[in-house]
Amino acid sequence: MKAVTICVNGERISRSVDDRLSLADFLREHCLLTGTHIGCEHGVCGACTLMMNGQPVRSCLTLAAAADGRDVRTVEGYEGDALMQAIRRAFNLRHALQCGFCTPGMLATAYDILSRIPDLDRERIRSELAGNLCRCTGYLSIVTAIEDVHAQGIARKGSSA
Amino acid sequence: MSELGVGASLPRLEDERFLHGRAQFCADIALPGTLHAAFVRSSHAHARIVAIKKPSGSEKQVYCAVDLAGLRRIRSTAKLPGFKPSDWPVLTVDKVRHVGEPIAMAIGATAAEAEDIAALVEVEFEQLPAVVSMWDALAGGAPLVHEEWGSNVLVDMKLEAGDLAAAKSAAAHVVERSFRMNRMHPLPLEGRACVASYDGRLDELVIYVAHQLPVPLQIGLSQILGMSQRRVRVVAPDVGASFGLKTYVESETVCVAWAAMKLRRPVRWIQDRYESLVCDANCRDYHCKVIAYADANGRVLGMECDVTVDSGAYSPWPWPAGLEGGLALGNMQGCYDIRAFRGRAVNVVSNKPAGQPFRGVARPLSCCGHEIVMDAVAHTVGIDPLEARLRNFVQPAQMPYVSITKKTLDSGDYGAALKRAAELIGLPSIRARQKQAEPDGRLIGVGFASFYEQTAYGTGPFGYAAWGIELVPGMEPAVARLTGDGELILEVGSHSHGQGHETVFAQLANEVLGIDPRKVSVRFGDTSISPAGTGTYASRSMVTTGGAIIEACQLLQVPIIKIGAHLLQCKEADARIRNGRVEGPQGSVEFAEIGRAWYHHPEELPADIDPAGLTAAAGHKAYDPGVFAYSAHAAVVAVDREIGSIEIIDYAIVADCGTRVNPLLVEGQVVGGFSNGLGNALYEESTYDELGQPTATTLADYTAPGAPSIPELKLDFMETRSPFAMLGMKGIGENGAIGPPAAIANAVNDALRPLGASVYETPITARRVRAAIARARSGGTA
Amino acid sequence: MKPAQFGYLRPDSLAEAIGLLKDRPQDARVMAGGQSLGPMLNLRLAQPKHVIDISRLGELCDSSMSGDTLAIGACITHAQIEDGKITDVTRGLLTQVAKGIAYRAVRNRGTLGGSLAHADPAADWLTTMIALDASLELAGTNGRSQVKVAKFVTGAMETTIEAAQLLTCVLVPRLSTSARWGYAKYARKPGDFAESMAIAVVDPDRASSRVVLGRRSEPPALMQASSQVLAGKPAESLTEKLATAIEVDLSSVRADQADWTMHRAIVLRAIRTLT
Repeated sequence: MKAVTICVNGERISRSVDDRLSLADFLREHCLLTGTHIGCEHGVCGACTLMMNGQPVRSCLTLAAAADGRDVRTVEGYEGDALMQAIRRAFNLRHALQCGFCTPGMLATAYDILSRIPDLDRERIRSELAGNLCRCTGYLSIVTAIEDVHAQGIARKGSSA
Repeated sequence: MSELGVGASLPRLEDERFLHGRAQFCADIALPGTLHAAFVRSSHAHARIVAIKKPSGSEKQVYCAVDLAGLRRIRSTAKLPGFKPSDWPVLTVDKVRHVGEPIAMAIGATAAEAEDIAALVEVEFEQLPAVVSMWDALAGGAPLVHEEWGSNVLVDMKLEAGDLAAAKSAAAHVVERSFRMNRMHPLPLEGRACVASYDGRLDELVIYVAHQLPVPLQIGLSQILGMSQRRVRVVAPDVGASFGLKTYVESETVCVAWAAMKLRRPVRWIQDRYESLVCDANCRDYHCKVIAYADANGRVLGMECDVTVDSGAYSPWPWPAGLEGGLALGNMQGCYDIRAFRGRAVNVVSNKPAGQPFRGVARPLSCCGHEIVMDAVAHTVGIDPLEARLRNFVQPAQMPYVSITKKTLDSGDYGAALKRAAELIGLPSIRARQKQAEPDGRLIGVGFASFYEQTAYGTGPFGYAAWGIELVPGMEPAVARLTGDGELILEVGSHSHGQGHETVFAQLANEVLGIDPRKVSVRFGDTSISPAGTGTYASRSMVTTGGAIIEACQLLQVPIIKIGAHLLQCKEADARIRNGRVEGPQGSVEFAEIGRAWYHHPEELPADIDPAGLTAAAGHKAYDPGVFAYSAHAAVVAVDREIGSIEIIDYAIVADCGTRVNPLLVEGQVVGGFSNGLGNALYEESTYDELGQPTATTLADYTAPGAPSIPELKLDFMETRSPFAMLGMKGIGENGAIGPPAAIANAVNDALRPLGASVYETPITARRVRAAIARARSGGTA
Repeated sequence: MKPAQFGYLRPDSLAEAIGLLKDRPQDARVMAGGQSLGPMLNLRLAQPKHVIDISRLGELCDSSMSGDTLAIGACITHAQIEDGKITDVTRGLLTQVAKGIAYRAVRNRGTLGGSLAHADPAADWLTTMIALDASLELAGTNGRSQVKVAKFVTGAMETTIEAAQLLTCVLVPRLSTSARWGYAKYARKPGDFAESMAIAVVDPDRASSRVVLGRRSEPPALMQASSQVLAGKPAESLTEKLATAIEVDLSSVRADQADWTMHRAIVLRAIRTLT
């Protein structure tokens, strides 16, 4: 067992966890934040993607113990964030989700590329989305939603490298 | 047509919870004291179990077949001539029949602990020779998957109609093509999952399951567990897609339910991806040979086909294997006016997971059949494949047209759709382009796929009853209830796992009652709340559940107008419903006042009000033969002749599903379906070695299309209202997935034709293209 | 799946890490970014008793120049290289390769050293570092040593690393201003491991011409004949000679016949893009 303290959505959470516990399971089982989904546990599908120290990572391949002291932001943690609000609105307007299972990971990736990459066209958006599988939408509506937000030019709230 | 009703591209009302991480998938449901199940699975494709040794100290946490006391058998049957039923083992009894078959269940305090215990269970196997491919299954002297059958043929179906001999003798051209569609995995992003518990207050089993068909599952569980149906509550909460995977009674569901009842503790099983890729690679896996007999003008006079389907080891319950072969035969003639047909479909069993239907079911196969052979006819006769199709289509004037396989094509214009698709890709300019060499050396090809999709079909002789299956879908129910504050609850028997029912059904309520869809709750998936429909499958919910909702809302209009007129002190004939109010000659009342009158002040109601009040239940009888949506797909590809890779440089879809209740959502279904069809065509394959070991067991090996793989689709819609469905609606859920394998195969083969090469196997990988080119170069047959 | 039980250790220094490895030679696995080891743990393909997390060791997270050699710390991530956070000594080649590795979320954690130590043959860095004739530094109980990456990798997922050794940094020689490189890759879809990859680095001022072919299941192979043909001459004039050389090379590296046209095309494309 390891004692870990992880800042989750701005709140410091300290727990004693099994050494082998993933960050995804820590959030889901210990913090009861089930918005982070597990789709493969080998880092390919992207459903578990969330922000750690401001960067998207695979929470299924991150040990909770290895995330000790880190800053984690899950899909539940964007209250009042103008960029995420715009992304959510665009996803809704463009029908960029169907079953919703890939959505939290998609939102994290969308947030990252909109924050990080100044020149986004459809081709670039597609290639940046390569690490997030969706089986329902066929992706085109997700690309369009992200394109919409890019055109709005919203700066991301707060920042951490 | 209104802003919020039929025809409105309303953004989905259910999106909120998914966008904020508040959805409730099975794995998100936390019940106090939950135990976790993990399964010990066969590492052999075919083997007898000699002994099972439970780990010492954890014996009480491991359950084998002999420990599951009181379970009845699962046996799925069909009244097809020669059909051979098989028992579905909940846990292996005597021998395992595929890698991944569950042998024992381990229970632990966490998932990791349950897996630890499962890993310590020792199973002694006596290996048997495995039947891996359909050809292995049919070979003389093949090992038998089910010894008592005497062969590996599950069912052998024949369909003959019209005068094929006459067609053969009148034919100027005979073309034959064979192709293979390899096994795939439906790959919904959420795997299978269930959480079972015993409700001590109601003396019920409560089981949350990722599932499309809650009521059939309830029926199945009650039969297997020997419990009354009223004591089995199935709840399908948010479900992370399914595409046909989460439709049947599965071993894990039964085990978890049994364990919850026995241990009186909640028990949970969440499938992981590796497990899923091993156990649920269970769809497609077909071979087909098609022969067309055409006259000098390319009119197809007759057609023959021989289909082989590999259904894996068992028939699932309630809908057995064998249906796919029959569906393939019944749809093999496509949109064409072909009057003579002979078809045979042999469904075999093999040592692979039990086959289940996947989006499109057998239609991607039959579409390849009629579309590949139509291209062959075109080339033999010397006309463009577009022209060949136009000469053979059933014409609108012929509709309703009863095909030789007894499909009633009710409405549509196949030629117009195809011409529009050809226009969208700029066919003449592509043909001109093909005459020049490409600067980068790639080869350009065009392929079409025209097809219909039989949707929302019903019970009777042209519907499900024809199979003689145990559970025949019947009337589709809906209950509409106006609340005390004038809002609406719709309870339905279908289930939405991405289809947007919470929005489209609210739009139907708006159409009939004028109520704002944001004031409508659509409830489904819980057998204790939802009226008993069969669920969502086979592209039917919009028509069948939609029809029931329209009928229930129409029934509800009666008491609403009656109470409204009474409150307005006017004649009922002078009152009408508009925009969520009842309007009379001098004023109006809101639905909230109507609700208040019924629930709070019944003393103010008219004397002759129906005591059933503001709740209306209706059922919809689907039109037995179904209603026929259709599409035309046009693909333009560039093939790299050295690497063999294929780029889709243009792709058009013209789809017609009649009246589109929500065009935005319809587009979502078509594009999503296309991505599944694209995976089928170019990427996805569940591979096995010669011992029957699956080799595509991680997402690194099983390639699903990602965002860069999807071309920018050109979409257009036609709306030919069906005369046989309410509002002229037709189903659309599977449509997008049916066309791509045929359209892309045709395009690739069009590109490769100058090299004398061809590929008739999906997925059309770079490796297969290279091999075809190499074969052609060395003088092999195309 | 969930991993089999293990103990997680996070040493505070390189010496401590090596000490931990020395004490548990058979039972421990080193974890840097966890993007290769993580899936193996989750699939129970690796069942170590201890996982030693080196990702926060300062020494391994730095890069520095020493003369004409860039020393890239083993725990520098693919994303850091993609974002140009290290000195560019390869005229942009490393940045270009980094961009194409898996997906951004994986690149944010996956490390250069982890990728080389894991030695999955299809990993982009293997082919790249062999094309650059890079070396790497190993630190263990016997002190530090250097070895060429080409010699370090002995097979698919096999290296010369010893039980109590850690890969500490990768040493990349600076390319001359006249050096040119070309890069081509074919994967079933973007982000997948490549079915075929080729990197050509021609640096006449350093008398170096190296064409390396990367494949799915065998370690990257130096295409000797092609490399020699390219040395010092412009590729455009060498079509026939190159064609012959590639055939010779594909045969000597025992490429699967079914893949020849693909590998040949990829090698030629890498060479044609030499800039």
